Amino acid sequence: MGQISARNLTLGYGSKKVLHNLNLTIEQGEFLSIIGPSGVGKSTLLMAINATTSILDGEFQVLGQDLTSLKNHEIKALRAKIGVIFQGFNLVARMSVLNNIASGMLAKKNLIAALFKYYNHRQYEQVYEYMRVVGIEAEALSRCDHLSGGQKQRVAIARAIAQKPEIILADEPISSLDPVSARRVMETLKHANEKYGITVVSNLHQLNYAKEYCNRVIGINQGRIVYDGPAQELSPSIVDRIYHADRPKKEEAIDLVPSFTGQGLQMPA
Amino acid sequence: MTETSMRLDEIRRRTNPFNPSSISISLAALVLVLWCWHSTSMSIPALMEGWGNMYRYIAGNPEIRDSGFFPPTIAGPTVMKYLISMLETVQMAVLALILSVLIGFPLSLLASRNTLNIIIPGEQKYSRLLKNFLYTTVRFFANLCRSINEIIWALLFVSAVGLGPMPGILALAVHTSGVLIKLFSEGIETVEQGPIDALNATGAGSIKVISYAVLPQITPFFVSMTLYRFESDVRSATILGFTGAGGIGVYLFDKLRSYENHDVTTILIIIVITVAIIDRLSAIIRDRYS
Repeated sequence: MGQISARNLTLGYGSKKVLHNLNLTIEQGEFLSIIGPSGVGKSTLLMAINATTSILDGEFQVLGQDLTSLKNHEIKALRAKIGVIFQGFNLVARMSVLNNIASGMLAKKNLIAALFKYYNHRQYEQVYEYMRVVGIEAEALSRCDHLSGGQKQRVAIARAIAQKPEIILADEPISSLDPVSARRVMETLKHANEKYGITVVSNLHQLNYAKEYCNRVIGINQGRIVYDGPAQELSPSIVDRIYHADRPKKEEAIDLVPSFTGQGLQMPA
Repeated sequence: MTETSMRLDEIRRRTNPFNPSSISISLAALVLVLWCWHSTSMSIPALMEGWGNMYRYIAGNPEIRDSGFFPPTIAGPTVMKYLISMLETVQMAVLALILSVLIGFPLSLLASRNTLNIIIPGEQKYSRLLKNFLYTTVRFFANLCRSINEIIWALLFVSAVGLGPMPGILALAVHTSGVLIKLFSEGIETVEQGPIDALNATGAGSIKVISYAVLPQITPFFVSMTLYRFESDVRSATILGFTGAGGIGVYLFDKLRSYENHDVTTILIIIVITVAIIDRLSAIIRDRYS
């Protein structure tokens, strides 16, 4: 029984099924990415781990909790142990880097202290440590709307780490970043994964980064897992199977082009 | 997401500023203006002919000695009396504003869909009903406070607590609460959802999520609206005295009725200068919070 385990799991929204019959086990400390064409349910799977997507059928356990029967306060407790990183960073633009990172610790913080944004010595030390882990301490007091995209995403990672999570979910963390910033963000995630033993599950469109940083890749197409194995074994034919298992509709095919021509797919020689 | 091709002539047709629907909307607006103008007997000739009367009113009623507006009274003790009274008016507005923020801000969180969803999560039937109930009730309360004019509230409170600044303060507070609930909640509903999602995902409680993800986003808007309402409260407070609810309005009403128009001018000058000073200070404070 791993940290995350799914058996015959069907996920969706309302009555709409998005992913069917998933069987999956993720162990603590893995650095894993989910790949596949747009709109096949990568985010759905990711957000299910956070108890945001509806479970329509099957069994799903995360951190020892059965997600099919969670009450409101149990969901909050579970989410406190899971950090989330978003494609659009989701930072508060007008708030400082310090406050944004500290907002990750809110669940455990005293209410009055939270209202006044008061931090004790230990909390300052912790936030400072996380700033150094992601390399943003020089901008500690800057407002987040003054940062570059890559810096914002590193603040978001620090905010996730500040939660002291057991799992970090990263929903297309580098999709809106240039290649240099993207590499820095992936390295920061890897660092958090190694330093704190946090399991990282992310959605990626950039296969070269998946190969370089992840030790496991899950390929999804047509609402099913079509590949689950080591990143190194992603051969061109497997990639072809993930992205072309059944040729997607015309507009999605157009959507996919950038990830094959740009910084995306680079086949090994 | 079906993508159908669009012909150039269709693009041109849809972006033509002189299409039939724009023209009919403009015509409808014109008809509305003419209708209102006619119904309310607006007349430019009447204003043209009437200018002279306004001049004679300002110059003073010949049958009443010393009833002109100019020159303003500049006698030290009188001016001092009005200045102190103006200060009382501003103090009334300060208290009224604080009360209305204390009432209006928490309620505005219940009058905004997004913060209601933070406070009462879930889409179950029961929580949806509760949310709709709170939303509708608070909005109705705000409409009620807002649509009854400060003067009417002042009359009601004078009948409850007697003459003096206190009924004026309460009247302003009630009316402004209604205004602030509307303004604040409209501001709150424009905040970005992303940070809220992010903090909900950390498992933090609703008040913490609001204070970290919602408030920082709308601080400039809150500050600007609150300062505007302060200025507006000061202006209203200068009139509330007409009902006996304290402030400089008591003198203003009294002097107007007794044709002591030199004093009226002095009072009006003091009001204008006070509002100008508040406007200046507001601008400085707003800059700090942009």
